[in-house]
Amino acid sequence: MGITNEKLTVQSKGDAPMARPPRKRASVVNWLPLAPFFLFATMFLFLPSISIFIGSFESADGGFTFNNIIALFTVKDFINAYKASLTISAITAVGGAVFGFLLAYAVVLGGLPKGLRTFMITFSGVASNFAGVPLAFAFIATMGNNGLVTRWLESAFNFDIHAGGFTIYSITGLSIVYMYFQFPLMVLIMAPALDGLHQEWSEACANLGGTSWHYWRYIAFPILIPSLLGTTILLFGNAFGAYATAYAFSGSFINLVPILIGAQMQGDVLFNPGLGNALALGMVFIMSISMIGYISLQRRAARWLQ
Amino acid sequence: MSSKKRSTDKVTRRDFLKVGAVAGASAILAACAPKATEPAAAALPDLTSGNAIPMDELVAAAKTEGELTTIALPHDWANYGEMIDTFKAKYGTKINELDPNAGSADELAAIEANKDSKGPQAPDTVDVGVGHTANAMAKGLFAKYKVSTWDTIEMKDPDGYWWAEYYGALAFEVSKPEIENSPQDWEDLLKPEYKGKVAMAGDVLKSNQSVMTVYAAGLSRSGGDKTKAAEMGLQFWKEVNDAGNFIPVIADQGTIAQGETPIVMEWDYLALANRDALAGNPETEIIVPKTGVIAGPYAGGISAFAPHPYTARLWWEFIMSDEGQLIYLKGYAHPIRFNDMAKRGVVPADLAAKLPPAEAYANAVFLTVDELQAATTYITENWRKVVYGE
Repeated sequence: MGITNEKLTVQSKGDAPMARPPRKRASVVNWLPLAPFFLFATMFLFLPSISIFIGSFESADGGFTFNNIIALFTVKDFINAYKASLTISAITAVGGAVFGFLLAYAVVLGGLPKGLRTFMITFSGVASNFAGVPLAFAFIATMGNNGLVTRWLESAFNFDIHAGGFTIYSITGLSIVYMYFQFPLMVLIMAPALDGLHQEWSEACANLGGTSWHYWRYIAFPILIPSLLGTTILLFGNAFGAYATAYAFSGSFINLVPILIGAQMQGDVLFNPGLGNALALGMVFIMSISMIGYISLQRRAARWLQ
Repeated sequence: MSSKKRSTDKVTRRDFLKVGAVAGASAILAACAPKATEPAAAALPDLTSGNAIPMDELVAAAKTEGELTTIALPHDWANYGEMIDTFKAKYGTKINELDPNAGSADELAAIEANKDSKGPQAPDTVDVGVGHTANAMAKGLFAKYKVSTWDTIEMKDPDGYWWAEYYGALAFEVSKPEIENSPQDWEDLLKPEYKGKVAMAGDVLKSNQSVMTVYAAGLSRSGGDKTKAAEMGLQFWKEVNDAGNFIPVIADQGTIAQGETPIVMEWDYLALANRDALAGNPETEIIVPKTGVIAGPYAGGISAFAPHPYTARLWWEFIMSDEGQLIYLKGYAHPIRFNDMAKRGVVPADLAAKLPPAEAYANAVFLTVDELQAATTYITENWRKVVYGE
């Protein structure tokens, strides 16, 4: 969730993009309070990234090799894993974005009672952090073969959710699980963006004879689009890196990149850290692209939120 | 500002030299220290021959160490909790337990990483899957030692670098409220009545237990032919998966209690310990399949770099004695010296009665280290391809 927090700081800091004050030379003392952060970032972000990079070119006996990187593009298992990871991340990012946006809209602009808004935002804060083994077990216990909801549908409506071949242990099922933390995150981030739509804009639009459609098409949506796209990318990254949830949910049944890395790094059985590192390097690459996209879209979005 | 910085640098450099001098001095002192204690060490029994050391000498030598470092011994696994407590009480030794949840590979890595350290992070003894002993011996991580009960140990390295201490057989743990007719053999798992009910206790790509689950099913199909077991095992699980019977959730006590994984394949001693822990909620039945009974032995070893070499040997003397072996049995693990003890009538009837019937284990198959490694490689490399058709 570090990504979210960073995002919120960027927003609240409010770097005025139009007129930057002249830069003052920052003294060392001013940087001092940030030292713990830099230390933390070095130890848990930069050093591991460097070690992943170096490890990607290491063979099992410690020599230099390109084989790990080549394997990323040639071994069918790895290609499939990237495909599956990208698919599930894209589905849940878009799904989360659409539902999350609608929910945020309903909560912020839908004229609902104030208490409901507070409740939804609090709930979203909690739910967006609900992941890993507890989340997996929650879904197993409710929607699994012997889950509460599954059984209730059976007994109350004589409805078998497995009749159409559906099973929770599939990409679709895992997507549903991921949605549980995806759309609350969308609500959390979109709510302030929707708050930033000034009342005056819609009034001005109405005064000029514009309809609600005009307002959304020509004013609100263009303002929101960087936030929307940026957050979608954030959701994508959020799902792309998830490991514990998927693993607790169905082991290696669904071939995702993080699960494959886990098997290479810590298994009793498969053990090739070099390959694991190369797989991770591929993830770092994809995440970097999505973060760059996110940051640049966020810059644009921040302009309108003053 | 720059001049200020330079002066700071100087101080740092000078400090650094000072620290260096102190470190150097202490290194010299440290180098001297072993010389001073050498006469005492000479009086201790020889460690190089690997022969059993008489108990009184071993106990006396262990007293001078007073401590033992173990790793990867969960207290609820094969009754290691009681093993550790009894050993502590009997010999007044302190036991320093490193990560109880470490896997076999981690245990060997811990020995290797602490080769030059006598500190508390260096394990004295390990308990690893038999397949890992080859790796450990190739890297020279084990010291040889033949405990006094050596001759009655049924599975061991001829030179004494490792020996099996206990084994379990893969069993079906069946949750009774969910399943009326328990499966009795591997082929039963294909029946339509078990749709979405058959689970493993680990991930095949990660866990040795699950690799053996695949192998055991294959062994049942091949009629005991080890050369075809891996291949036929994958085929079997493909059929289980195609039939919709396999459920990929990794089973643990939680999913068994909740009912999502009503039929689980795991080592019998873990299943039996689960049964005790669940205490009838739900009721479970432990069944050793009729065919394809695979034994999963664990191997003991002593670190070649053990900081407490005598206590480590005493630990194994204790575990491999009748007393230690019966402690395993209390935790439902089959002691490796079971047959010898049963012959001499030292196995209490009430303990034996808590296990599934002895006949079930009569045709348990033990794999050699080579067979284990070959099966593991084949199964993990082909699991996804064959079973999921990817």
